[in-house]
Amino acid sequence: MSKLIMFHGKECPHCRRMMPLVEKLEKEESVSFDKLEVWHNEQNADKMRSFKDLIEPKCGGQLRTPTFINTDTNGVLCGEVPYDKLKEWTLS
Amino acid sequence: MKNFWRCHVCGDIHFGLKPPEVCPTCSVEHAYVEIPSGEALNIQSGTKTETDRMGFLKAITAFAENNAFQVNPDRERVDMLLDGVFSNEKNHGLKYCPCRLRTKDFEEDIKLVCPCNFRIHETYKDKVDGECWCGLFIKRSDK
Ligand code: SF4
Repeated sequence: MSKLIMFHGKECPHCRRMMPLVEKLEKEESVSFDKLEVWHNEQNADKMRSFKDLIEPKCGGQLRTPTFINTDTNGVLCGEVPYDKLKEWTLS
Repeated sequence: MKNFWRCHVCGDIHFGLKPPEVCPTCSVEHAYVEIPSGEALNIQSGTKTETDRMGFLKAITAFAENNAFQVNPDRERVDMLLDGVFSNEKNHGLKYCPCRLRTKDFEEDIKLVCPCNFRIHETYKDKVDGECWCGLFIKRSDK
């Protein structure tokens, strides 16, 4: 099974908006994201930094939150997106 | 590399590649001398300035006043972002953006200190209803 991670920030409004969509998708499609908070957990932050080369080209050259990553396919999705786009990215 | 400079007449501090030709405070020309960061730090720590939340909100509101953007009227969003900015300052030393992670490269990370240069963000430039990446600042509809 593919490995899905959501890097998010506790005080990031985009992340706050995306969280219920991610939870809905998890229920509907039986997928599961590792939800890693990066501003209050240095281990998670280092993990996000370790994907810097994959994330930056897709996220305006920065480590923006939220970032979704599939560690099997190296797919990256960045920012606040509609539910359908999140779903399409997750299942592709 | 950027350095600190001090106006030898009025004591203004400038951080940059080169100093201003004319001091913006005392208007004296060629008044700046390069100083080490320790001296700048000592000058700073001897100067009491407002750094609390209300002070910051006041500062960014004044900053936006003469610009084509304003602080987002969505108070809940602003509150959340200020929570992030201040917890980042407490935990990581500077008011880093709550919606981007610092890389641990200081020169890069200084660009994430709020308010950042959001005018270059694709969420802001060329957009009628543009906003900074976090939505703390939004374009004014009247400008
Ligand atoms: S994107 Fe907005 S909230 Fe984030 S640092 Fe820039 S101005 Fe501040």
